[in-house]
Amino acid sequence: HGIHVFWSTVDAALILIRHGESLWNSKNLFTGCVDVPLSEKGVNEAIEAGKRISDIPVDIIFTSALIRAQMTAMLAMTQHRRQKVPVILHNESERAKAWSRIFSTDTDDQVIPVVTAWELNERMYGELQGLNKKETADKFGQDKVREWRRSYDVPPPNGESLEMCAERAVAYFKEKVVPELDAGKNVLIAAHGNSLRSIIMYLDKLTSQEVIELELSTGIPMLYTLKKTGFHRRGSPVGPTVAGVYALTEDLARYRDQLDSKS
Amino acid sequence: MAARTMIHVAANDLRSVDVARGKEMAAVGSYSQVCRVAACNGLHLEEQSGRGRLVATKPVLIRRRGVACGVRASVVPLSNGAPTTAKTAQAALILIRHGESLWNSKNLFTGCVDVPLSEQGVNEAIEAGKRISHIPVDMIFTSALIRAQMTAMLAMTQHRRQKVPVILHNESERAEAWSRIFSTDTEEQVIPVVTAWELNERMYGELQGLNKKETADKFGKDKVHEWRRSYDIPPPNGESLEMCAERAVAYFKDKVVPEIEAGRNVMIAAHGNSLRSIIMYLDKLTSQEVIELELSTGIPMLYTFKGNRFLRRGSPVGPTVAGVYALTEDLARYRDQLDSRAWS
Repeated sequence: HGIHVFWSTVDAALILIRHGESLWNSKNLFTGCVDVPLSEKGVNEAIEAGKRISDIPVDIIFTSALIRAQMTAMLAMTQHRRQKVPVILHNESERAKAWSRIFSTDTDDQVIPVVTAWELNERMYGELQGLNKKETADKFGQDKVREWRRSYDVPPPNGESLEMCAERAVAYFKEKVVPELDAGKNVLIAAHGNSLRSIIMYLDKLTSQEVIELELSTGIPMLYTLKKTGFHRRGSPVGPTVAGVYALTEDLARYRDQLDSKS
Repeated sequence: MAARTMIHVAANDLRSVDVARGKEMAAVGSYSQVCRVAACNGLHLEEQSGRGRLVATKPVLIRRRGVACGVRASVVPLSNGAPTTAKTAQAALILIRHGESLWNSKNLFTGCVDVPLSEQGVNEAIEAGKRISHIPVDMIFTSALIRAQMTAMLAMTQHRRQKVPVILHNESERAEAWSRIFSTDTEEQVIPVVTAWELNERMYGELQGLNKKETADKFGKDKVHEWRRSYDIPPPNGESLEMCAERAVAYFKDKVVPEIEAGRNVMIAAHGNSLRSIIMYLDKLTSQEVIELELSTGIPMLYTFKGNRFLRRGSPVGPTVAGVYALTEDLARYRDQLDSRAWS
């Protein structure tokens, strides 16, 4: 099959997708780990993202424990060309595990396991969660809020700093995701701005200053390929203080051409 | 009644959070306005009972210079006492069966395998949302499976009201702490979403993941037919419809009914078998009738809870024909009524 011929030149693909607009984004509320779903716009962004990656093989999916990331993954996969079906793994209890068993090996082979992990959640914003920008400025002062949002290691009250978020996100990535990639599995991660930039900080070896300035576009997939020489980023941010657009359209278009010509 | 000349806390300024803090609020407006706003906020007007913990006042007619010009009523949170059955209690119950999943299109027994919606299923959910966009929703219950949760969230993207569904997390201390909201204003605009495995699809045991041909080859067509169409015969290591109904209805009675009795409008997004189990309870169907009941996907089924009873707002076409709860006419009538009362 044409796709396999092409993909033999890389060991594994890693796709990162940041979810799109949520119902609190449109109201300008600090969301953090409050489990708010996508808005209609966010739904469309996820579907669009899916179209961009419809030709890239996916063998396993990781998402956060929050519905907006899970929906993004599932909506994106409705656009996927291949016949494999994502299935969320349940192991929160013995009953959940037993009840989700599949009894056909043929079907099992066509499954893309979906693993949900709180370690991939958005940064937990503590006492800012649910407040709008004005409320937080009134309550804490605009400078303090800016410091929490833009520093690397200063957490808001009862919340996480970006450093704390990175610690659990990257630890999870190294422990659970990298072994899959090493085994040659193509991985999709659907998550959030801060958990994804933490992972990118690790992949691209960014400094804490660089990661603070890194902005990830929503709904635009970021592609990395893992080769023996390490992780190769397939897109670059436009600039440190400008919203980095991982607009892999050109790269992806080139990929698609190569895929089509080889099949 | 001309309530316009009164200067008191208007009924629309009633906030459940103030009542929860123990303040007794005086709400002024027309009688129906006060009742409606109280119900929308999960509050309840109670008749004077004189029974200890139940703090109650009859709505009092206010007169200025002998002319009736408003109604004052004290409102209290229902959590302080047993659920009441005040005459004003009225609530909507919306049931939505999710649409096509990625295994439906492959004709595989799904059961409790957590398979997501197909593109068609996504569109069905959005369409369902358009049909209920005017019906107030105060609380949402879904199963533990993504196809039901997505159906609820997609439907709510179409909802007119400004409230935002938020999934409650209590699977661990950390999860609960991490999902806390710190603004009472925001919290009031939240529609809590409760996920429950008890609302899952019937668990099909060793049929899960098999296609219709594989199951016929492995178990024989007659056996499979019996498992699918009987009330109390489970497939190997699976649930019978009776077992599914037992846990679904128990959950409904235990967790959902109290919310409805409290005047909260509830939406349940779930599956064919868990929903028909609940309908069996609501409509007092026999086991034979429930076996023959087919629920359309993506078409919301509406019940209203009134005078302590559940009234079905739609009926199936026939027992052996796919029952179409096509509430379009009823829903249109509701919408007219809603618009005329300016619910939003």
